[in-house]
Amino acid sequence: MAAKNVNISRRQFLKASASAVVSLAVVGSVAYYFKDKSEVEKTGIIRPPGSREEKEFLFACIKCGLCVQICPIHAIKLADWDSGLSYGTPYIDTNVQACDYSCDAIQCAETCPTAAINFQLFKNAGNKAIEDLTKKYNGNLPKNVNPFKVQIIAMKNADRMGVAKIPDSKQCLAYQGNGYHGKLGKTHSLLRPPGKTERLYIDEVDVNKEICDLCVAYCPIEGAIKLKDLGDKKFLPEITDACVGCGVCQMLCPTDPKAIVVEPFKELVNA
Amino acid sequence: MSFIYDFITRDKKRKPLPAKDRSNLPFAKLGFSFKEWHDSHINTHKWRNRRWAFLIFINVLFIVSFAFDLSILEGSLSGSRLIGIYLMDPFNSAQELVIDNRVGYLAILTTNFWIGFFVIMTFYWLLGGRAFCSWVCPYHFFAEMGEKARAYFIKKKKIRDKTYDVTVKYVFWVGFLLLAFLTKQLVFENLNPVGILSRSLIYGPGLALIWVVALLLYEVFGIKRFWCRYVCPIGTTYSIIGDVSPIGVKFDLDKCGYCTDCQDVCLVPHELWFVKKGAATKEVHFTGGDCTKCGLCIDVCYGEALSFGFKAPSYILGGEVKEEKELHPLEVPDEEKK
Repeated sequence: MAAKNVNISRRQFLKASASAVVSLAVVGSVAYYFKDKSEVEKTGIIRPPGSREEKEFLFACIKCGLCVQICPIHAIKLADWDSGLSYGTPYIDTNVQACDYSCDAIQCAETCPTAAINFQLFKNAGNKAIEDLTKKYNGNLPKNVNPFKVQIIAMKNADRMGVAKIPDSKQCLAYQGNGYHGKLGKTHSLLRPPGKTERLYIDEVDVNKEICDLCVAYCPIEGAIKLKDLGDKKFLPEITDACVGCGVCQMLCPTDPKAIVVEPFKELVNA
Repeated sequence: MSFIYDFITRDKKRKPLPAKDRSNLPFAKLGFSFKEWHDSHINTHKWRNRRWAFLIFINVLFIVSFAFDLSILEGSLSGSRLIGIYLMDPFNSAQELVIDNRVGYLAILTTNFWIGFFVIMTFYWLLGGRAFCSWVCPYHFFAEMGEKARAYFIKKKKIRDKTYDVTVKYVFWVGFLLLAFLTKQLVFENLNPVGILSRSLIYGPGLALIWVVALLLYEVFGIKRFWCRYVCPIGTTYSIIGDVSPIGVKFDLDKCGYCTDCQDVCLVPHELWFVKKGAATKEVHFTGGDCTKCGLCIDVCYGEALSFGFKAPSYILGGEVKEEKELHPLEVPDEEKK
């Protein structure tokens, strides 16, 4: 009798295990199929600064949302099923709220426990900048030089989330020779203008520009974008290699569709 | 593998103690009939109320921390930070480690990851493993409600209960780790109702909730507690550490009246196998790793035979526990009877 019971429970266990293995196989193949589908391809959808290459990012990110919590301007959101990204992973929609680096310390990267957003990258860059600075002055920093500012600038430039592009220059107001008068932006988004310490809501600020240069004037990275004079009252922003793809220009661009967009940077070099 | 199974079922494999006579049952000793004894007990739902309050408190703390930007309990149940101390979901961490070994990214994992992993493992080892399930997990809360709904439908004879072998959860546990290793992706986190629910509560609901609702409906109308009992690898991880945890629900055979009411309310009835007449193999039993330390059985027990207790190290390792019998105030010691 006892032996029979053992056989029944063993058979039951094997039956349950078999269904478990089958369901796991189904789940696994679905996951494997969707793995290549989740790529940041849409313009304006980028990963937070310092994110690993997409394939590495997918296994490094545990979807805890600590980066969402720490971001002072609420730029980072978690992907849902319909967003085309792997479920639960963080992204920045630069149309709505771009990262303006106004936390100064790349806090999302610092807070990430699994280094999916890799802080080491920024730390190394910052340390190297300070080292270079001390070398430059032979260890005696003049009082007017703030090493932290140098460090922050180096950290901001350490990684590229994407790169700004102008798909159709005819869309650009400056190219048409037009100015822009009105609110800085239509969305209730936060922005810290370069050189300022306080953040402002872009739909509460009026701007008057004879020639629209919002993307150039509010770019948080020095020397990333310049307004090129094409002559005949025509101007066009020119994006340099310094662009980190933060997307502030896309957020502020007043045209519809946006004349300047951020594309994910494909050849991310991670340390 | 079989030695692990032998270890987990070490108490069950012993020779059962002879069942107590009717005259030796606690109510008979006190001179009551079973009914009088049974009716004298008022269930105050002490532990259930405490547990629900704590579960809601923790999850509200998550929500409030995000909504009002407080640095109390940030993140979600997949990974969080409690006043600066990181806490990591153990199965997520295990998946990370499995994948990492293959691509050599282990060295880059932050110190915070290791702190979170070890803090949570130690914490739940001390507090009894699956205590997470009934005291923290938001999915459990809804599943517990679902269990009540299911009981209603069973009463109406719309559905019937059938139990399966719970050891299948180890197959899922190994399977999900293998999937993570093979696909280089946190496969389980895409299906994890705990994470989905936690994120939905904190960062706003999403389409992924459809999966959670589907699971809940299946638990009500399909297999009872399908996800929690047979699949959830987070619970299995906690179950493994909970089996050697120093805390458990203590069962005192001497005070037991064989009513098995505790098994009826238990969320994991197979853990209370020893309450049946003639099933106990020791004078004192502790529940094993699957016990969620919910306290429902303690609330319902008439004779106070069940209580939270500390296991002696020798018990954890499988040895016998010898304890002096505590006498009930109304009970006459054996020697005086003679």
